[in-house]
Amino acid sequence: MALAVAGQAAEQDEPQGSVVRVRAAIQSYDQFRPWQKKAPYGLNGTGVVLPGGKVLVTAALVANRTEVGLEKPGSAEKCGAEVEAIDYEANLAVLQPERPEFLKGFKGLALGPALRAGDMAEVWQLERNGELLRNQAEILTVGVGRYPNDEAGFLQYGVRVSLPKRDDSYTLPLIRQGQLVGMVMMYDRDSQEGTAIPGPMIERFLEDAADGKYDGFPTLGVSWTPLRDPNLREEVKAPKGGGILVTRVNPRGTAGRAGLKEGDVILSVDGMKLDEDGNYRDSLYGPTAIGNLVRVRPTVRSKARFLISREGKEMELAGTYDRRARDEVAIPTLSFDAQPCYLLAGGLVFQQLTGAYLQEWGDKWTERAPQRLVELFSFQQEKRADPEKKVVFLSQVLPAAINLGYQQYSGLVLEKLNGKEIHSLTELAAVLDEAKEGNLVFEFMDDPGILVLDAQEVRAQQEAIGQAYGISEPRKL
Amino acid sequence: MKAWILLLLGLALLGCGQDGQLREAKKNTVMVEVTSQVWDYRMPWNPGTVSSGRGAGFILAGKKIITNAHVVSGARNITVQREADPRRYAAKVRHVAHDCDLAMLEVEDEAFFKGTSHLDLGGIPELESVVSVYGFPIGGDRLSVTRGVVSRIDYNAYTHSGRESHLAIQIDAAINPGNSGGPVMQSDQVVGVAFQGFRGDVAQNVGYMIPTPVMRRFLQDVEDGKYDHYVDIAVRWMPLENPVMRRYLDRPNDGRGVVVTDVFSEGSADGYLQKGDVLLSIDGYAIESDGSVRLEGKPVQLEEIVERKFAGEEVRLEIWRKGKDQTVRVPLKPADMFSMYEVLYEPPPRYVLYGGLVFQPLTANLMAVMTGGADLRLKQKYTMFGTDQMYRETPEPVILSGVLPDSSNVYLRGLAGQIVREINGKRIRTLTDVGPALAANGERTVIRFEGDARPAVLKRAEVDGSTPRIMAQYGISEVSRTEVGERRLAKGRGEKGEEK
Repeated sequence: MALAVAGQAAEQDEPQGSVVRVRAAIQSYDQFRPWQKKAPYGLNGTGVVLPGGKVLVTAALVANRTEVGLEKPGSAEKCGAEVEAIDYEANLAVLQPERPEFLKGFKGLALGPALRAGDMAEVWQLERNGELLRNQAEILTVGVGRYPNDEAGFLQYGVRVSLPKRDDSYTLPLIRQGQLVGMVMMYDRDSQEGTAIPGPMIERFLEDAADGKYDGFPTLGVSWTPLRDPNLREEVKAPKGGGILVTRVNPRGTAGRAGLKEGDVILSVDGMKLDEDGNYRDSLYGPTAIGNLVRVRPTVRSKARFLISREGKEMELAGTYDRRARDEVAIPTLSFDAQPCYLLAGGLVFQQLTGAYLQEWGDKWTERAPQRLVELFSFQQEKRADPEKKVVFLSQVLPAAINLGYQQYSGLVLEKLNGKEIHSLTELAAVLDEAKEGNLVFEFMDDPGILVLDAQEVRAQQEAIGQAYGISEPRKL
Repeated sequence: MKAWILLLLGLALLGCGQDGQLREAKKNTVMVEVTSQVWDYRMPWNPGTVSSGRGAGFILAGKKIITNAHVVSGARNITVQREADPRRYAAKVRHVAHDCDLAMLEVEDEAFFKGTSHLDLGGIPELESVVSVYGFPIGGDRLSVTRGVVSRIDYNAYTHSGRESHLAIQIDAAINPGNSGGPVMQSDQVVGVAFQGFRGDVAQNVGYMIPTPVMRRFLQDVEDGKYDHYVDIAVRWMPLENPVMRRYLDRPNDGRGVVVTDVFSEGSADGYLQKGDVLLSIDGYAIESDGSVRLEGKPVQLEEIVERKFAGEEVRLEIWRKGKDQTVRVPLKPADMFSMYEVLYEPPPRYVLYGGLVFQPLTANLMAVMTGGADLRLKQKYTMFGTDQMYRETPEPVILSGVLPDSSNVYLRGLAGQIVREINGKRIRTLTDVGPALAANGERTVIRFEGDARPAVLKRAEVDGSTPRIMAQYGISEVSRTEVGERRLAKGRGEKGEEK
């Protein structure tokens, strides 16, 4: 292992007054028992003090937090902090100290310029005594890659750095010439390579958050495939050179509302030509994937221009960037910080499907989770395109006399209750409350199709079942 | 005086029973040595890899030699040998039933049977009674005998077929490779065929044998010269234990009946039973609310009544439909529409080769070599195929199982594992649709897949040029093998969606 240069005096910068320890107490909800939380644990990172007294960290450090605290290096002085803006996709968060004077005297770090492959920088770590460890880092790659909680990809730096094991390393700043140029978000100790969120991403995030209303990064809402294959180009009548083939369009998304269709060839976006692999020529990074072009460069509500070829005819389409393809969905992928909603009726536990619920099944969730739920989530655009139609499902049955004979069922998607279609837990609750007596006929998408309870019995037993299983709230909608 | 003689006689019989069992077992247990070939679904044109193995078998009346189907699966050469005779005799498979892991062998050379008698089949042994297992397990070459007690009598998966469950008896004698197909005896009768166990790291002293009802069914089935599959009523049902559910279905709370929750299209009950029917009795046996019936005083699942029947026979069901009692006679047949889930042994893999693209029907065998590589869409197609009755639309989904690298298909390699939806505008429902669809006129062939994968586009002239080259390069002699042979497939609906 290469030795880090510890406590090295810097010529042009004063590291003191630029970083703080960030201690987050994390407790996430138990998706399988949505009325309770899992065991708590702590995460410690190194946050960057920004000019103006706010602190930048990765979103992963403070996801599902119960509490966040700041601590000055070299002293035990502490202060609580609030999350002011957070973006789980971009993996960034800004913290505001509860006492503004806490960071008084901290100069903060300004954002530096974008880096290129081959550039050198430093990854800063804090020693126990508050001294800085400055580890030499080399930028290996600059390109669009996957972030921990984003499927489409953002720009990231591939970094080679040898980081010694230290506390407070869950988030670490990447510094060059006394300026913040990135945040290290992943690190593999074996290969000594990591990834960092580039400065330009941080800049966009901070700009967005500055007005107090965070919009987030836009999405295009299309699936596409490269157009290298000359036979395929001929088939889709693509003009000579460049362009990518659209294989699916979310009609709600930026591209869909601009009029793009499946089978279109996108030749350029906002005047930037795309090559056969979907790269545009970035003035700074050279050939860069379209993801950076359509997600980081524009902002929500900015204008989008597409030059496409449809059936061999070129045409211009115009639209507006937004996040609807990501936000307006029946089954959300991400759900942090919020308690999952649920509803108990006669021991039957109903939940609304989320990606977080499926992930609770572990790495092999696609095999282990109920297959119908996996299908609806994974092929949502085919199977559940309407964002208003949430997936309500029977997640488990808490055994009680009232549900005898039903206790083996789980993972069943609810379609109707007493003949009324159910598209959310709120709707389910309303229909349940309406039924004062008689049968409650639950209709499911899969075998056994129907389960029946008695409305009066359900009401009479509600409290006893809740008590037996220690659930104080029978519903959280 | 009389009683005393009887007692003596009884003792004598008992003594003779133990000695006699060993003597008879020695005479009639055979070692089965098999060289087999296993098809390679990665390269379906290849004859497969050769391996050899050893199992056991035993002689029943009529010179029938019984062993496990898995002992002789894919056999290219079989020899049998008895303890008393050092010679090996050539044997042939006369019948094989992969669904219940049984096979019948025949030996032409009469000399083989010299000095043999035959074993007789007994009944279901009692729990905790002692049984002896005969066979040739690893650890030596001579006949081995182990003893154990009957631990459990229950339905169990028959792993050889990959999808079947039948009655099986668990014993605490170890069953190891080489025991397979050997007789399990009690006094002087065969009460089972040793057939499967667990790996030592999973469970110990757990072995399974095929009980005589399953054997008798097999023997009866092949009397007409061919083996038909097990039949299946092909419905799903739900226990009716919940009083409110019973009230909803207008049934008294008398502990009887189960409700039909699904009737599989193309199955036995299709057209006879409906969702919501309450099944009250089957062939006169009252059905309890948990789905069990009392057969010979023992509770068994209602399917056991169906299990013992043959294709073409009927079951008589007393049902409750829409507030009325009715009697329905359901003619039984195998559940061909689920045959995709059966592991195939004998039939050669079917495929179509086109410009380095290999098309194969979706089978359990193909999935076994694709897992890991298979993407979620394919995995879901496989798991949901039966539940969602996808066979009605696509009786036999066709998969682009591989792309043989060639200069003509460099851009298509990433498409391996995709489910073919249409070729040249023609919907692909079975492998036999592929050839005619590819033969359509046009400069280009366009293959479209399910989901949002890009289409594969090939130039006909290029394919014509590349095919001989690819076949030579990869040692493929036949451009396709599509004949269905004796495979039983789902029928599906016709082109316009109506029933065929």
